[in-house]
Amino acid sequence: MTAIRLLELLILLAALAGFAGLLLRRNLFLKVLAMDVTGSAVVALFVLFAARSGLRSPILSRLADPAALGQAGGDLADPIPQAVILTAIVIGLSIQALLLVVITQLARIDPSLDASSFEPSDRP
Amino acid sequence: MSDLWSLSAPPLVIWLLGPYLAAFVVALLPALSPALILLCSLATAFLGGWAVLGGNRLELQLLQEYGVSLSLDPLAGWFLLLAGLVCLGVWLEARRQGWDRSGWLQLLVLLGALNTSFLTTDLVSLYVSLEVVAISAFLLILRGATANAGWIALRYLLVSNTAMGLYLIGAALVYAQSGSFRFEALAALAPGAPLALVLVGLLTKSGVFLNGLWLPRTHAEAPAEVSALLSGVVVSAGALPLLRLQQLNGAFTGLVAPIGLASAALGLVYALTASDAKRLLAWSTLAQMGLVVLTPAAGGLMALSHGLAKAGLFLTARHWPGLSLQDWRKRPLVWSLLLPLWLGSLSIAALPPLLGFTAKKQLQAALSPELGWLVLLLSIGSVAVYARLWQAPWRWSPRPPLCWGALLLMLPLLLVGLAVSSRQADIPDLLQALAVLGLGLLLHLGLERLRAGGGPELPQLDRLSDLLGGLGVVGAGLLLAMAGGGQPLLTGGAG
Repeated sequence: MTAIRLLELLILLAALAGFAGLLLRRNLFLKVLAMDVTGSAVVALFVLFAARSGLRSPILSRLADPAALGQAGGDLADPIPQAVILTAIVIGLSIQALLLVVITQLARIDPSLDASSFEPSDRP
Repeated sequence: MSDLWSLSAPPLVIWLLGPYLAAFVVALLPALSPALILLCSLATAFLGGWAVLGGNRLELQLLQEYGVSLSLDPLAGWFLLLAGLVCLGVWLEARRQGWDRSGWLQLLVLLGALNTSFLTTDLVSLYVSLEVVAISAFLLILRGATANAGWIALRYLLVSNTAMGLYLIGAALVYAQSGSFRFEALAALAPGAPLALVLVGLLTKSGVFLNGLWLPRTHAEAPAEVSALLSGVVVSAGALPLLRLQQLNGAFTGLVAPIGLASAALGLVYALTASDAKRLLAWSTLAQMGLVVLTPAAGGLMALSHGLAKAGLFLTARHWPGLSLQDWRKRPLVWSLLLPLWLGSLSIAALPPLLGFTAKKQLQAALSPELGWLVLLLSIGSVAVYARLWQAPWRWSPRPPLCWGALLLMLPLLLVGLAVSSRQADIPDLLQALAVLGLGLLLHLGLERLRAGGGPELPQLDRLSDLLGGLGVVGAGLLLAMAGGGQPLLTGGAG
């Protein structure tokens, strides 16, 4: 189980790195990429949690002996987090696409895409 | 289970899927848009009214144990009623602005996603519906033709998606610890990192305190109809899950209530110093959302009264002669615009006999006496905020431009407020409201003098780094508040 703890730590570090990149990078494109790093870390976290019960894909074969499922079920991965994260991947992809479309439009205002050049100076 | 399924499930599922289906149809046949939008928003408002007035409950579990769990209860009913009415009002106004089929499609998808987010009681379905809400709100903000619209929309989606990423980490930790994504599973866990991450996501969605710093500029710069949708219902999509979590575990109120009160104070201070009328309304939304999330006992009514009033106020903004508050008293407004403006702002300032007064009274009754007094103090501030809008002189005109959407939204505020207040008229309450009004006006006069002399300069607070830093600060604050109990913070992996 220590391997899983280690992997979990690495994944959380990756999420943190993405958040830090989002804060510290000045280029808008890199900011969006940093957001994607966080998103990928989240996906990895779900896959890791699914693998806690086993590593085999949770797909039942038609040829498998139904009586033997009890023993074989022990090393199957948990299908729930895997199913859940599929939706999140699709949503992440579409948001990424939408943001990049807007960024291409913003590039007409400032081709260097420096975030500070879009920030208005007045108080909200 | 099977009986319940056969009776209530099909209509409810059809109603949930209806707006999405209607969105497809409208994209192909725009001529059908009036009928379909009317049908969808009236069905939503009707279902909400049925749940609120009848106290009806409906629990559904689709696709067995790990499927989607839906719950329609009176608390969700308030929000459904709000969503239906606001969509109807916005549709009335948007028709006259010549929205095309893409606008109707976005409106219907937004309504469908809001409906889903109000009914789901598990973390993952909520994530999906909140993201759909965010995407359709993003596309609606982009309808603004200004040069700034792209930046505002980008900022909104970037912050909201980052917050939802943190929320998903929280959801994963909840599953690792309890094997379920339901709200009950989160409420049963000891407070720790999962709860903090989920709360950061929901607070960002509902625009509360530092997590809501994206809200003022976004709501102020969007086109008037879109601002009405955003301030009226979109923010409440994040507030209802917060209230549901507090309902399941009363201890969460101790975490959320201080943030809500801080949000109310922050929003008031900035609204009092704002120089632009739409930004004043937007900062006031941040303040009022703080009050909405305070307690589930009054949250539904607070959200309804605030959402209706604020959406109506934003709808009238389209016809204002200008936005600068400095010459607000020099520019007369026609009576047909000032009437909804006064009704809505008086309701948010909690004056009888409007619905906002009933809501504020219910809120004070549900809170402890000390918090009740704090809320009363904050109401003085909101009177002073809206007194700035009351300075506009009335102008009489025989054929005025009528703002039907705003009038439609103000009508329930007035009628329901009158019906409730006439039944429970209470002299001390009335005197209290009058005292609040008087003190608020005094505060307003004092501040006017201060503002004329330049006034203090407040920090800007809404650069992108401030918005993202706000997430980190509130998340760390929540963790520190929970760590007071000596809980292990990260107990996810080794199960």
